[in-house]
Amino acid sequence: MGSNGRDSVIDDRPSPRGKRVSLFVTCMVDMLYPETGMAVVDVLEHLGVAVDFPPGQTCCGQPGFNAGYRREAKQVATQFLKAFQDAEVIVAPSGSCAAMVRHEYPRLFADDPLWGDTARRLAAITWELTEFIVEGLGITDLRGRLPAPQTIAFHDACHGLRLLGLGQAGRALVDKLENAAVVEWEPGEICCGFGGLFSVKMADVSGAMLHKKIDAIEQAGADVIVTGDVSCLTHINGGLEKQGKPARVIHIADLLAEGVRHAKPVE
Amino acid sequence: MQNRSNDFIPAAQVAIHDADLQRAVSFGTNAGYTRRRAAMFAAGEAHGQALRRQAAAIRRNCLNRLPELLAEAEANMTANGIRVLWAIDAEEANRQVVEIARRHDARAVVKSKSMVTEEIGLNHALEAAGCVVLETDLGEYIVQLGGETPSHIVVPIVHKTRESIRDLLIDRLSMPPTDDAEEMARFVRETLRRDFLAADMGVSGGNFIIAETGSLCLVSNEGNARLVTSLPRVHVALVGIEKVVATVEDYATLTQVLPRSATGQAMTVYTHLINGPRRANEPDGPEHVYVILVDNGRSGIYATTYAEALACIRCGACLNGCPVYQVTGGHAYGWVYPGPIGAVVTPLLTGLENASPLPYASTLCGMCKEVCPVDIDLPRMLLDLRADLVAMGRSEAVWTVGMKAWAGGVGSPATYQLGGRMAALAGKVVIGSLPGPLKGWTVYRTPPRFAKKPFRRLWAERQSRREERDEQP
Amino acid sequence: MSSRERILERLRQRERPFPEVAAPAVYRPMVEIADTSPAALRARFIGEAQKAACAVHEVASPEAAIDLILALVGREATLSAWDPAQIPLPGLASALELANVTLVGQDAGARVGLTGVDAALAATGSLVLMSGPGRYRAASLLPTVHIAVVAAGQIMADLESWLAAQKVTAPDLMRRFSNVVVVTGPSRTADIAMQLVMGMHGPRELHVVLLPSVEGP
Repeated sequence: MGSNGRDSVIDDRPSPRGKRVSLFVTCMVDMLYPETGMAVVDVLEHLGVAVDFPPGQTCCGQPGFNAGYRREAKQVATQFLKAFQDAEVIVAPSGSCAAMVRHEYPRLFADDPLWGDTARRLAAITWELTEFIVEGLGITDLRGRLPAPQTIAFHDACHGLRLLGLGQAGRALVDKLENAAVVEWEPGEICCGFGGLFSVKMADVSGAMLHKKIDAIEQAGADVIVTGDVSCLTHINGGLEKQGKPARVIHIADLLAEGVRHAKPVE
Repeated sequence: MQNRSNDFIPAAQVAIHDADLQRAVSFGTNAGYTRRRAAMFAAGEAHGQALRRQAAAIRRNCLNRLPELLAEAEANMTANGIRVLWAIDAEEANRQVVEIARRHDARAVVKSKSMVTEEIGLNHALEAAGCVVLETDLGEYIVQLGGETPSHIVVPIVHKTRESIRDLLIDRLSMPPTDDAEEMARFVRETLRRDFLAADMGVSGGNFIIAETGSLCLVSNEGNARLVTSLPRVHVALVGIEKVVATVEDYATLTQVLPRSATGQAMTVYTHLINGPRRANEPDGPEHVYVILVDNGRSGIYATTYAEALACIRCGACLNGCPVYQVTGGHAYGWVYPGPIGAVVTPLLTGLENASPLPYASTLCGMCKEVCPVDIDLPRMLLDLRADLVAMGRSEAVWTVGMKAWAGGVGSPATYQLGGRMAALAGKVVIGSLPGPLKGWTVYRTPPRFAKKPFRRLWAERQSRREERDEQP
Repeated sequence: MSSRERILERLRQRERPFPEVAAPAVYRPMVEIADTSPAALRARFIGEAQKAACAVHEVASPEAAIDLILALVGREATLSAWDPAQIPLPGLASALELANVTLVGQDAGARVGLTGVDAALAATGSLVLMSGPGRYRAASLLPTVHIAVVAAGQIMADLESWLAAQKVTAPDLMRRFSNVVVVTGPSRTADIAMQLVMGMHGPRELHVVLLPSVEGP
C-alpha cells in the first residue's frame, strides 16, 4: 500500500521505552484543537508514559520554511530547540511537524555552532504519535473499545505517509480497537490539497483538490474519517462545513482516546 | 517554446472550470498511475523497489561521469559514421538543423516526438527556413493540427476528449465522421503514410545514448519513430546532454524501466538502437545521420544542488501521480515540461523570474518522489527553489512582511500566546472571510475557530487539579 | 572556443554531482526467469508474444512454415521481404516464385512483409531484428502484416542476455550494423482517450512462425 519511504534520516533511533515524553502539542492543536492535545495525553498516560509539557514551545517553523522563508523559520525553530533542549523523547500528534524537526532541522542548523548539536539530538528523539506507540513502545493493542461499532477510513496525511512512512502504525492501532472496522479506500492516500500556504496562494487549485477529497469521503461511506494531521483536518472539515455536509474528519488521537476511555477491563 | 509559466494561477483556474479537461486528465492520469504500478511491481514490492534503486544508481553514476561519457559517446558515434554536433543553446541547435536541411536540399521534414525540439522551437525555425514540418506521433500530430502545445510528456493530448479529436480531424482533414478511435487512427495512418514516403529529412529526439557503443536509442509504440529514422535520406536527432549512459547494461535497465513507468509496458513495441547511416552493404536506411547534443541550460544545472533533476528519464509518472497536475492539466504550467518535473526544470532552464509560481504549485505531498523510477527528490528541490525565490527578493511584499511578523510573534512564547488570545477574541466576531492574502481560504472553507482555552491552559489547569489532589490527605 | 569545448568545460569546472553513488555492482535483469531451459524459454516466449498481441504459429516443419506463409500472403502479388538467404527456411525462395509472388525489398504498397530475426526474447515475447545485407528495414515496418520466422535456437531469455552475448561474440556489432530494433508486438497507440488501438504507423498484425525445436517439443 502506498508508501515506499521508510524514514531514512534516522534509522537507529534509541528506544524511547521507559523515558519521559515531552509533548510537542503543535501550534494548531494548541490553538484550535486543545481537546485533541488532551486526548494525546490521555492515550500516553494510559500506556504508563510519563508526560510533560515544556511551556516555552510554540511552533516548529514549518509554515515559514515551506514558504521559502528559511531565516524566519530558523528563528521560530530556535525557540523549539530552546524549549525542548532537556527532553528525553519528544512526541507530536502531527506527521508534518515531526518530519519538519526530523528532516529539516539538521539541515537548517547544519552549520550553526550554537544550536547544531541540539538540533541533531532533538531530531533523533522526535516521534509522531502513532509511530511512537507502535514502533517506539512496541504496542499495537491499547486494549481499547469504541462504545459502538464503527467503520473507519483513513485519510493518510502526506508528510506522515511519505516522509515518515507512517501508513501502518495508525491502522494497526485502530484495527485492535474493539468495535472498529477499518475500511480501505484508494483516495485515502491522495493529497487533500492543504499544503500549508498553498491553500491560500493557490486557493483555486487547493479548492479543486479539496472538492475531490470530499467527493471521495462521501463515496467511502465510512462512519468516521480519521487522520494524523490537524492541518488536513482543518482544511477538509472547513470544506465539509462550507458545503453544508455532515461528515467530519477527526484526529486519530481523539479516536484512540475514546477507545481508551472505554477500555476493556483488565482481567 | 515561449514560456507562460508566470500565468500559472489564472491558467489553472481556467483549467479547473473546463469540465471536459477535468474528465480527460483525470481519466488519463489514473490510467497511467495504475498501469505504472502494475508494471513496476509485477514481481512484487521488493523487486520493484530494487529496479528503482538500480535505475537511480545508474542515472546518478552516469551523471557523475557526464563529461567523460559525452566525449566517449562522441568518439564512438563518429567512428560509427554519425556526425556529432554540439549546441550550447536553442538558437545554435536550430541553426544547425536548418544548416543540415539546406546542405541536403531537404524541404519536407517529418518528426517523431521530441521534447527537446519543443524546448528550442525547432518547428518554427525550420518553417521560417522554408521547410514543411510534420509531426507524426499521433498525439503530436493532433496537437499540431489544432495549433496547440502538448500537455503531457508521454500522452500529448491527454487533455482532449475523443469528441474533440474527432471534430478536429473532420474539420482540418475532412475525415469521414466517426467516433471510433481505431478508425481515426487508420485515417491518420493513411494520411501520414504519403508524407513519410515523400520526406527528405527525419527529425527525432533520443531517449538514451550509449557511450560505449556510440548508439542512439529510441523507444516508441506507433512505428513513426522507426519510419522517421529509416525512410528519409537524412536523419537528425536532437538529444539533451544528460541522456548519455555508459554501457549497454545501463541501457538495458533504463530502456525497460522507462516504459514500465510511462505506460505500464515491459517493453515498448519498438526499442531501437541507431548506430549510424546505412552501411555500404545495407539495402535501406538513411544516408546521413546527425546527432546534436543539446545543452540549453543543462550544464548550468549540473554544477548545482539541482543536478538530480537531470536524472529524469522523461517517463511522465510524476505527472500522473501529482494531485495538482490532475486538477490543472499540463498547459497551466506554461512550458514544455509540466507537472512536478516541469515545476523544477522550467525555472532552472528558463529562469526563476519567468516561472515564479511553479515552485509553489505543489502541496509537497511527496507522490512525485514516490513514483519516480529514479527516485528524484522533487519535493526537496521545490522547497529549495522557494527559498531561492525569497532570497532573490521575488516574493510578494505582503508575504515577506507577514512572515517577519509571524516569526517575531511565534518565535517567543509570550507573543505567541498573546496572538492566540487575540485570534480567539477576533473569532468571536463573526468573520465571513480571512484578511488580506489569506482570503482565498474562505472561498472554499469556513474559517478555523480559535479555542477559548488553548491546550496549555487546559494542561496547566489539569496540573493544578492534580497537585491539589496530591496535597489532599 | 567551440560549443563543444564550452559545454565540456562547464561540466568539468566544479565538483561533480553524486560522487558517492557507484554503478550497480550487479545488474539485475528486469524480469527474473527461474527456468532457462530451452523448453521453458520456448513456452515463455510463446506466452509473452501472445500477450503482446502477436499471433504465434508453431509449425511442425520448414515445409509447413512455408505453407503457412503462403497462406498468410494469400493472393498478394508482392511481398516485402528480407533476402530469403537471411531467413532460415530452405526452399522459401523457390516456393514463393512458384506461387508467383514477387519479392520486393521496399515496396510501400506491399500489404505483407516477411523477415527472419536475430533473436527472440522470452521475457517479453520480443524479436530482435538487425539491419544488414539483404535485410530491408521496411519489410518489418511498412506493411500492414509482418511475418517473422523464428528458429527455435534463436530464443534467448531477455534483452540483457542478448546484449551480453553480443559483447562476447560480436563486440563491434554496433559498428557494423546501422540499426537494431527490438519488436514487441504490432504497432499501437493509446493517444486517443487512452484507448488502445492496434496498428498505428507500423504493422497491425505480427505473425511469428516458430520452427520446431531440434531436440523435440
